[in-house]
Amino acid sequence: MLSLTPYAQSLTATTAAHLLRRATFGPTQAEITAFTGLTAQQAVQQLISNANYAPPPPVDLDENSPTAGQPYINLPFNNDRNFFLGHYLRLWWLGLMTAQATPPTLLEKLALFWQNHFVTTRTIVEDYRFLYRYIQLVRNSALGNFRTFVKDITKDPAMLRFLNGDENQVGKPNENYGRELQELFTVGVVDPDGNKNYTEDDVKAAAKVLTGWGHTNFNANGSTTIGTTFTDGLHDSTNKTFSVHYNNTVITGRAVSSPGTMSAGEAELADLVAMLLAHSSCGPFICRKLYRWYVNQNITADAEINVIVPLAAFFVSPANDFAIEPVVTKLLTSQAFFDAANAGAIVKSPADLVVGAMRFFNQPVPDAPTEYKAFLNYTDFMYYQMNTMQMGLVDQPSVFGHEAYYQTGFSKLWINTTTVGIRGSLTDAFIWRWLEIKPGYTMGIDLLAWATSLQPNFADPAGTPSITCEQILAGFTKNLFAVDLTLSQQDFLIDTIMMQGIPRLSWTFEWNNYRRTPGDGGSRYSVLWRLQNLTKFMLRMAEYHIF
Amino acid sequence: MKRRDFLTTASASLLPVMLDGFGLRAMNRQSALVQSLLQTSAVNTDRVLVMVYLNGGNDGLNTVIPLDQLSAYNALRSNIAIPQNKILALDGTPATGFHPAMTGMRNLYNDGKLTVLHSVAYPNPDQSHARSTDIWMTGVDSNQFSTSGWAGRYLDNRFPNYPADYPNAQMNDPLAIQIGYITSSALLGSQQSMAIALNDPESFYSLVGSGDPAPPGGGLPGDAGGLITFIRKQQTLAVGYADRIKTAADAGRNMAMYPVATAKNYLADQLKIVARLIHGGLQTKVYFVSLNGFDTHSAQVDYSDTTIGEHASLLGKVSTALATFQQDLELQGTHNRVIGMTFSEFGRRANSNNSKGTDHGVAAPMFVFGSGVKHRTIGQNPDLANLTGQYGNKDIGMQTDFRQVYGDILNDWFGTAPAITDALLFRNFPSVSLFRDFTPTNVESIASGRWQDAATWNVGRAPLPTEPVRIKAGHTVIIDHDIITRNIRLEGKLNYTGSYKLQMTN
Repeated sequence: MLSLTPYAQSLTATTAAHLLRRATFGPTQAEITAFTGLTAQQAVQQLISNANYAPPPPVDLDENSPTAGQPYINLPFNNDRNFFLGHYLRLWWLGLMTAQATPPTLLEKLALFWQNHFVTTRTIVEDYRFLYRYIQLVRNSALGNFRTFVKDITKDPAMLRFLNGDENQVGKPNENYGRELQELFTVGVVDPDGNKNYTEDDVKAAAKVLTGWGHTNFNANGSTTIGTTFTDGLHDSTNKTFSVHYNNTVITGRAVSSPGTMSAGEAELADLVAMLLAHSSCGPFICRKLYRWYVNQNITADAEINVIVPLAAFFVSPANDFAIEPVVTKLLTSQAFFDAANAGAIVKSPADLVVGAMRFFNQPVPDAPTEYKAFLNYTDFMYYQMNTMQMGLVDQPSVFGHEAYYQTGFSKLWINTTTVGIRGSLTDAFIWRWLEIKPGYTMGIDLLAWATSLQPNFADPAGTPSITCEQILAGFTKNLFAVDLTLSQQDFLIDTIMMQGIPRLSWTFEWNNYRRTPGDGGSRYSVLWRLQNLTKFMLRMAEYHIF
Repeated sequence: MKRRDFLTTASASLLPVMLDGFGLRAMNRQSALVQSLLQTSAVNTDRVLVMVYLNGGNDGLNTVIPLDQLSAYNALRSNIAIPQNKILALDGTPATGFHPAMTGMRNLYNDGKLTVLHSVAYPNPDQSHARSTDIWMTGVDSNQFSTSGWAGRYLDNRFPNYPADYPNAQMNDPLAIQIGYITSSALLGSQQSMAIALNDPESFYSLVGSGDPAPPGGGLPGDAGGLITFIRKQQTLAVGYADRIKTAADAGRNMAMYPVATAKNYLADQLKIVARLIHGGLQTKVYFVSLNGFDTHSAQVDYSDTTIGEHASLLGKVSTALATFQQDLELQGTHNRVIGMTFSEFGRRANSNNSKGTDHGVAAPMFVFGSGVKHRTIGQNPDLANLTGQYGNKDIGMQTDFRQVYGDILNDWFGTAPAITDALLFRNFPSVSLFRDFTPTNVESIASGRWQDAATWNVGRAPLPTEPVRIKAGHTVIIDHDIITRNIRLEGKLNYTGSYKLQMTN
C-alpha cells in the first residue's frame, strides 16, 4: 500500500539516485554519492535550499553582435532580433537545468512543471521580455504559494497575450483565459467521477471578472520596460454569479480602482481565485498532476486514496493554505515516492533524457558571458535535440502542455517509431563525439578515461591485473539505469555486445596491451571500440529510457 | 578522414526488429546502400546475395588444407594439425582438402556449388579486429578512411540533391537486411540519409506480433516492465519495411530440415530466416548473417584430438548451415536467385601458438556458394615455403584482393555497370572469374612485375599451371622462380633474374 508516511530509511545510492532523477533532470555520480546516507528529509531540504533565485541573467549569444556575452533584457527592445533573443532565453534556462558546478536543486524541474501547467509559448508570446518575465515568475513562484501564483500568472503579460486576456473587455469578452483558468489551471474539467466541475456560464462569469487587463510596450521597438495594466473603463463592473459548482458564489463588481493602482481588478481577481481554490476538485487536481510528474503517471486507486487525497487535504488545509513547498516536500519524502514499484515507472521526457545525459556524463556547461559561442553550441544542440523529440522548450503544442503530461498513455507518448530513432542518435552522439563545443572540448563520453579510472595502477600492467569485462560493465552501469539488469542481460552485454562473441579473456589481453602502449593507435582503438559498442548499446536500451 | 566522422554513419536508423528471436535490421529505401543498389540492375533482377560473416578471424589453414604441402603444414602447427587421413578429399582437386567437420561444404564443392577462393586479403594488412573488419565491410584500402560507407560515397557523388529529391519508390522492400544485434558497417548509409529516414513517416509501417526483442528481457513486473516492453515494441515498429518483412516471413516456408535448437547452430538459425524471407517473396537484395567465435587464440582443437574442439565445432556449424540453406533453396526452387559468400576480417597465422591456438594472421580462403558459381577453385594453395611475417610470425600472403570478389558479385551477379562498380570500390579491381568461364584470354598482364605478384595479372593472382597466359605489350614480367604454365602469348618481355625454368604444358 502506498502511503504519505515519511520515508524513514537513510538514502542508499539507489534511492538517492531515484530522488535525484525525479526531483532534478538527473544526477551526476558525485551528487548521488553526496546524497547517499542522508535522510529523505535532509536530501529534499538541500534540493530546496540550493535553489538560486538570482541566477546570472540571459546574455546575447551571437558572436557577431556587439553585445555578445552581455545581458540584453533591459536594453531597448530590438524587434529585428526578437526570435534569437527569445531563443537565447530558452538556452539560458537549459543552462540552468544542466548546471553541474552549482549544488543540485529541484527548482528547475519544478519550474518546468509549472511552465507546462501555466503554459505560454515563445511562438505566441513573441516579445522576449514578456517571455523572460514569465519564466522568472514561474521560477520564483515554483515553491511559493499557489494562490499567489494563480493571481500573478493571470496578470502576467505573457499569459495575457497567450490566452487573450489582453482582448477581454467589457461588452466584448474573450473567454479563452476564463475557461483555461478553470479547466487547466485550477479545478480541472471533471472530477474523478466524471462530473463537470463548472458550467459554461461559469466560464462567461469568470471572463467578466477578468476584463480590463492589458500590458504595455509589446514588441515596441526601442522601449525599455514592459508591464501589466488594468483599465477601469474596460472592466465589466457588474456582479458575477457562479453556478452551484462554486456554491452559487457572487463576485461583487468593482468599478473604480484607487488612484494609481489596479485595485478594482485585483480585488475581483482575488475573489475569483479564492472561489476557484475553494472548489473541492482544485487540491486533488493539482496534487494528481504533481504525482504524475514526480512519482508515477499511472494513478491507481491505492495512489488516489492513500496519496492524492491526503496530500490534497494538506495542500488546501488552512494551516498550509496552498503553500507549494511543503506539499512537494511531503510527496518527495513519502514512502509512496520511494516505493520500489515506482522506480522506472516513467519514460524519460526529452528534457530528462538530454539534460540528464549531459549531467550524468559530466559535460560541463560553458560560462555564457565569457564563452557565449561554446554555450550556444552546447545548449543549441540540447534544444534542437529535444525539439526533434517533440519537446520544444517553452513551445508546447497547445495550452494543454506537452501531450505526454495529460493524454492517455502519458509518458509513453514520448516514444514512437520516429523518436526512438532520434533518441538513439542522441545517445550515439555521446559515443561518436562529433559535436565540438569549443576547441579542446568535444561533447561526449571519454570512454577510455572512464575505463582507466576503474583500473588500479593503470601504468603497471605487469604488476596489477587487468580489470575484467565484468568490472567494466559494473563500472559503466553504476547508477546508469533506474532498474537492475538481469544476469542474462549482463551476460548479453558483455558477450554479445562488448566482446562480440570473442572470449571474455581477450579483453584483458587487449586492455593490458593498451596499458602497455597507450599511445599506440591500434591498441587504443581495440579497447575503445569495445567500450563504444557497449555504451552505445546500453544507452539505446529501453531500460535507459525510463527513470 | 577522422575515424569518428566515419563512425557517425554507423548509428541512427538501424533499429532492431525481431524474427525468430534474432534482431533483424532492415535498411529502408533512404539508405545510401539501398539508393546505390537501386542504380544497379539488381533492382531489375531477382538476384540475392547472402553475406556470411565469420566473426573473429577464421583459421583458413585448418579450413582448407594443402594436401600437397603436408610436411610443411605439420611443421608449422604440429599441435593443431589435422591428421592426413581425416582431411576430407575433394573431387578433382587432389592438392586440397577440407577440415573433417565440413562434410556439407565438401558435398557442395563436389557438386559444383561452392567455390574456394584461396588466400583472400588486402594489401598492407591490419590485424585489429575492428579496423580489419571495417576494411572488409567498407571496401577500402587499409590506409583509407571515409566519411561514409562505400555506397554512401557513391551516392553523394551520383545524387547531389540527396536526400531532397528522394525517395522515389522503385521498390517496396528493404534492399538489405542484417540479422544480428550489431549494425554492420557493410550496410552503412550516410548520416544524412538516416536522419531523413527517421523523420519520414512514410517509411515506417507497423509490425505486429513478431516476438520479443533482444536483448534478453528483464521480465520486470509492474510499470517499469510495461514501459520497457512498450519501448522495445516501438523499436521493433520503427524499422522501415517491418511489415513487408513480416508478410514475407509469414508467406515463406522452410523446406529443408535445419539443425534442431539444441545444436545451437545460430548461423543455420539465421539462414533459416533468410530462406523463409526469400521464399516469402521479399525482394531484398542483400542479407547479412554472422557467426561469432572464430578468434581462436587458444584451445581451438581438443586436448587429445585435433579433429574436434572449438574450431571444428564452428566449421561444422558453418558447413551444416550453408549446406542446409542451399538444400532449402533448391527445394523451394529459389536457388537460382541466390548466392552466398563467407568472409572473415583476417585469417590466422600459419604457425600455431603454444596454447593450441592461432593468432591474428593475414589471408584466408573465402567461400562463394550457390547454383550460380562457375568454378570450384580460384587461386591455389598458399605456398607454405614462402610465408611472410616477422618476429616469428608466419603469415599467408594475399593471392586475391577481397574487392575483386565484391567486384565480380556487383558486375556479374547483380549486373552492375562496370563503371559504377569501379566507383563503388574506388577503382577497378580485375575479375577473378567467379561467374565467368576461364578463357584463354582471361589471364593477362596488367603491369610489369614479378610473375608471382598478384598485382601483375588481371586475375589478381599468379596464373595457374593450367592457364594460358598473355603478357601484353609494354609489360615486363620477372621470372625469379621456376614457373609452370599452360602456354604464353608473349607480346611484352620476360626478364629472368637467374637460371629459372619456364615450363609450358600445352
